[in-house]
Amino acid sequence: MNATSEQRRSFSRRGFLGLTAAAAAAPLLAACGGGSASQGGGGGGAGGTIKFWDMPWATPAYNDAAKSVAEGFSGANGAKASYQIIQWNNFYQTFSSAIASKTGPAVSTGGGFQAFQFEQQGQIAYADKVIEKLKANGQFNDFLPGVLDPFKSDKGYVAVPWQLDMRVFWYRKSLFEKANVALPTDWPSLLEAGKALKKVGAFGFTTGAGAGNNYANHSMIMMMVNNGGGVWNKDGQLDLMNDRNVEAMEFVLELVSNGIVDPAAVSYTTDNMSAQWKDGKAGYGLFQVNVPQRVGDTSGDLLVADPIKGPHGDKATIVFPNNIMMYTNTPSQEASEEFLVYYLGQLKQLWQKKLMSALPVFKSITEIPEFADDPNNVKIVKDWQPIAKTFAAQGSTLNANLAALDGGQALNQFSQSIITGKTDAKTALQTFQSGLESVLKK
Amino acid sequence: MSSTTTQSGLARARRGVAPGGSGALPGKRKSKLSAQATRTFFWLLFPSVVLLVLIHGYPLVYAAIQATHDGDLLQTGNFVGAQNFATVLTSPAFWKAAQFTLWFTIVGVFGSWLVGLGLALLLRTKIPAGGTFKVLLLLPWVVPIVVSSTAWNWLVATPDSLIPSLFRNLGLGTPLFLADPTLASITVMVFKVWVSFPFMMMMISAALASVDTTVYEAASMDGASPWQQFTQITLPLIARSTYISWILMTIFCVNDFPTIYLLTGGGPVNATTSLVVLAYRTVFQDFATGPGVAIAFLMTMTLVVISVILYRQIRKSSVE
Repeated sequence: MNATSEQRRSFSRRGFLGLTAAAAAAPLLAACGGGSASQGGGGGGAGGTIKFWDMPWATPAYNDAAKSVAEGFSGANGAKASYQIIQWNNFYQTFSSAIASKTGPAVSTGGGFQAFQFEQQGQIAYADKVIEKLKANGQFNDFLPGVLDPFKSDKGYVAVPWQLDMRVFWYRKSLFEKANVALPTDWPSLLEAGKALKKVGAFGFTTGAGAGNNYANHSMIMMMVNNGGGVWNKDGQLDLMNDRNVEAMEFVLELVSNGIVDPAAVSYTTDNMSAQWKDGKAGYGLFQVNVPQRVGDTSGDLLVADPIKGPHGDKATIVFPNNIMMYTNTPSQEASEEFLVYYLGQLKQLWQKKLMSALPVFKSITEIPEFADDPNNVKIVKDWQPIAKTFAAQGSTLNANLAALDGGQALNQFSQSIITGKTDAKTALQTFQSGLESVLKK
Repeated sequence: MSSTTTQSGLARARRGVAPGGSGALPGKRKSKLSAQATRTFFWLLFPSVVLLVLIHGYPLVYAAIQATHDGDLLQTGNFVGAQNFATVLTSPAFWKAAQFTLWFTIVGVFGSWLVGLGLALLLRTKIPAGGTFKVLLLLPWVVPIVVSSTAWNWLVATPDSLIPSLFRNLGLGTPLFLADPTLASITVMVFKVWVSFPFMMMMISAALASVDTTVYEAASMDGASPWQQFTQITLPLIARSTYISWILMTIFCVNDFPTIYLLTGGGPVNATTSLVVLAYRTVFQDFATGPGVAIAFLMTMTLVVISVILYRQIRKSSVE
């Protein structure tokens, strides 16, 4: 072997190791890399161009309509608005990196608790002046009861709600008829209905905890809240080990042990869940608004059930008040506020076009024929909205910690361990509490 | 030319000395040339170095900062030293994920290698429409993982999906492929092998193509059995490609996020949570940036060590 070949060999080895190290460093780069944030369009008058970022809340037709609404904005100082869709995948990273590089939006929709996360970091512009303008134009009094309060912090309104992602019980009427059982009104009758549905090959507590599916998480918290419990106490402190929560989870475990929960539910994606509803395997369970449209069965067999009573007489469900927030990085705060007031005033057309899979926050929209003609919608507004509580229950104010709860590992693991039935309520709740404590900001 | 003269000439030639020359450059001229060469090398390398620093250096340094601070994606937070690493290394979830990653990688690398090797050997024989088969066999590697994971989900997810129904009709019960922790782990690994074997098949096919067939003819004449030919000729001759493919597949498996996340999301009850899935969930679902990046750092260090060990095997096989 001569010197030249040794040199080439040595170079090759270093080169190879360098390449290997670069490839091996991929997880690091992936973990710390920022998402891209597109620049808003130029132009606009003295008010500039307000960059509005929106999420794919429904079908692509929704985003087309929302884009049209946003781009129809024309502010007093010649301000315009641009529209950008942000995908749910890694959305928080996309927002964070864009905000950090000052290329983020001036106004956006987003995750349910995102506004509170960015408020902690000083990036949110409070919406108090927007609320004043809504009071002046009469829209303030149009809000459904209680939807605005969770957004009021000590410093002001962190965001303004625009739609309610409500969780309600649905049922398939023909399966209840086939099973010859009455609709549940409380927990014992839910157990009886579940047993009867099982005999006709259907499940009485339909849920799912597979990849990207949070319905089992929501079902667990809903059952706690439905029993007067919840993740937090009235002061906003973590309070998972209370008796009501233990009782609620013991009941869910009883449903599991009786075969009322599908044993494969732990792996169900939302598409798998929808298929169970469509195929007549799901008799009863917690789901969102507009289930018939979502699962593709508008025969009238899928209906909203009545709220059920917990063993102590409590009646409650959970709701995610999705909101629009303003950021401090804006070409003009006045233009941002003007845009937000304008956009809230245009929301009605999204429901008129039947593009939304959520409840409106304005009473006037719940009264338009396109919404009120659907008896399921009317029932949700009449029976479920008044008893709906947020993830902050039994507390009342939303906060940044809820983001770590919703979709976090602790809640996912808890829900999965409950619906597989391989735990007891106290152990599962204790593990949940420890997991949550480790990630919550003090 | 005498033997002494020949030896001397070769020695001078190796040193690059011209006949009749002393072999030494004048001092000033040598240093001037050396300085010029250094400057030229520097300016030629400069753009690449800048690019590498920007692409790899900056994120690595930023990741190191995040791993040693208690901030989030937007704010660096306070310096906490090695606390994030300590948190991660004392977490049972980390070790459970490490264990799954190890099994996932072992099965992914060797499973796909065995299937790829078998198919490469099969396609080497004269079979009708061999080229078409080769293209069809590449499909799992070519199809976007989102599509294939969705297809696999529909094949196994519910008790009424195709494969559980098949098992039921054969009287084998109704296995819950994604809901049972053990079966979910096996399913994810089988899925990984299915996705990865075409890569192995192509690597081995390329290595086999360069093997001279006369070697086998000679071995046959010497009385070597097919198994002896496989173990004594084929495997040693493709060893270099094999080690390279193992290194690459190890990196692919350890870093594999979509195969696992799209099929099971890491569940049920963390049964299929690998280190990269755990890092992702820690950063983007728990918003604990420091510990999440610390996991990624630990993965990187492990991969570098594994790669170096396997690279030494490549060198060894080359020398042999």
